[in-house]
Amino acid sequence: MADTKVISEVTGSIWKVLVAVGDSVEADTPVILVESMKMEIPVLAPDAGVVAEVLVAVGDPVSEGQAVITLKT
Amino acid sequence: MTIETKLNELAARKEKALGMGGPEKLARRRAEGHMNARERIDVLLDKDTYVESGLFATSHLPEARDKTPADGKIAGFGKINGRPVAVVSNDMTVMGASSSVVNGKKIRHMREVANKSGMPLIFLGESTGARMPDRMGAQGRAILGQDPTEYQRLRQSPWVSALLGSCYGSSTWYSCMSDFVVMRKGALMAVASSRVTSMAINQPVDAEELGGWKLHSETTGLVDAVVDSDEQAIETIKRYLSYLPSHHKEAPPTHEVPAGADGRGQRILDIVPADGSKVYDVRKVVEAIADPGSVFETKPRFGKSLSTSLIRLNGRTVAVIANNPLFKGGAIDVDACNKATSFLVFCDSFNIPIVFLVDQPGFLIGLEGERRAAPSKIINWMNALSLVTVPKVSVIMRKSYGQAYLNMGGGRNSDEVICWPTADLGFMAPEVSVNVLFGVKKEEDPVRYEELLQQVTRDTSAWNLAALYETQNVIDPRETRECLISMLDVHRTRMGSEVGRHLLSNWPTSY
Repeated sequence: MADTKVISEVTGSIWKVLVAVGDSVEADTPVILVESMKMEIPVLAPDAGVVAEVLVAVGDPVSEGQAVITLKT
Repeated sequence: MTIETKLNELAARKEKALGMGGPEKLARRRAEGHMNARERIDVLLDKDTYVESGLFATSHLPEARDKTPADGKIAGFGKINGRPVAVVSNDMTVMGASSSVVNGKKIRHMREVANKSGMPLIFLGESTGARMPDRMGAQGRAILGQDPTEYQRLRQSPWVSALLGSCYGSSTWYSCMSDFVVMRKGALMAVASSRVTSMAINQPVDAEELGGWKLHSETTGLVDAVVDSDEQAIETIKRYLSYLPSHHKEAPPTHEVPAGADGRGQRILDIVPADGSKVYDVRKVVEAIADPGSVFETKPRFGKSLSTSLIRLNGRTVAVIANNPLFKGGAIDVDACNKATSFLVFCDSFNIPIVFLVDQPGFLIGLEGERRAAPSKIINWMNALSLVTVPKVSVIMRKSYGQAYLNMGGGRNSDEVICWPTADLGFMAPEVSVNVLFGVKKEEDPVRYEELLQQVTRDTSAWNLAALYETQNVIDPRETRECLISMLDVHRTRMGSEVGRHLLSNWPTSY
């Protein structure tokens, strides 16, 4: 099992957290919604895995390239 | 001496040449699970169509002749689905398929014939770089690299390259000059090997990081498709070529329209949310418009906020450039700009009409983009667009903001602009523009904010664009397929036999 950081591709603020620690996710599942450019832009899990850590909370600012979730893959 | 003696010699020499680098090296490759250079040709070409050119070529050095069957680069002609092609297949079992005086002549001949007689040129790549001693010293300079047109590309015919192993030197260079590159996972493409690079920079270098499939499909964009095996790479090449003409002076081939092509657009309303703040995967829209099973996406992992694909519409090849809100909200970054420009250049060179599917909030602004020369990428794209001579139709599905409105074919940059009723033609997200233009924030003065929001969104609908005849039609999204088929038919360049002017044919193959 490796730790995979799930990265936001855009700068914005956290709109919704769609998963909790312990959830299993498939690759390409939306795990977070970032509000950016007046859109709800999903952050997708790059691989299948189990959510180990949620690194942000609703309302937090987030930058492009920032890790928002840690996945055990 | 009798003719029999001569014929026996012919047979013996043939056997020796076809034996490549010898049974041991071939067995080692087989054990590693890789096809050899001749097996790849067999899988690529229609049965019994292969004619070799240079089977008896060897190194020009007398002492190396015996060790260099076909001189490490196997070349010839054949057919794929009945259409002629030229092929160069690198044989790693013969001196690492290194570039030599003689095999350089073979490649040049393939290039010249493909260009002159109008057939695709396929490189099955795997090579170690320049051969020593051919390239050694001043004498090496005087005998290798003697063709000033070696790296010239005028796109007379399509070039396709497969990266099927370690690729340094010629396999890398020809990939970078090709219109389409497919890479097998585990293959590597780099200027120099990780061993050489590691020595040069005096620190360890990971080969995958230096030139693996992730780097080239996600970061450099030099690879168009990634596959798991040699067989899949060859299948991908065949499929790609099925969309293309054999050369620049003919229209792409037409195919029979598969069953179930009609009525596919019904799904579009379920795919695309009317609310512009919600995102979706535009590739599902492309699927709903195209002939069933005909979507061939290129560079799916690179510049993902813009999706490029070859599709068939009513049996005819069409290129689609679509903003993808699923990634970065569809905001166009530098990678997406480069991807769009190279696709425009390719399509125009091979007479492929272009459809834009538009839903973008503008170019992605930020420090990273500016550092990577975003303004020049945006204008490169516009310059290319202005030089495109194939038919262009733009469909504004939802938002189209700012300068990118023009890049995506708005204004007079397409032959026809079609809007969905959900089209939104602001200059930026209206909520943001109230703040930018008037300095008013919602939380500080909600009444004034609402008033100004009404003001900036007043004139941004499809109806206003239609009233000014800046869009030629507003359609039900479910009718997009049928509308595109008729519009592309209207704009078919009949007087030029559906062949464009190719003003972009000498533009670069990468950016």
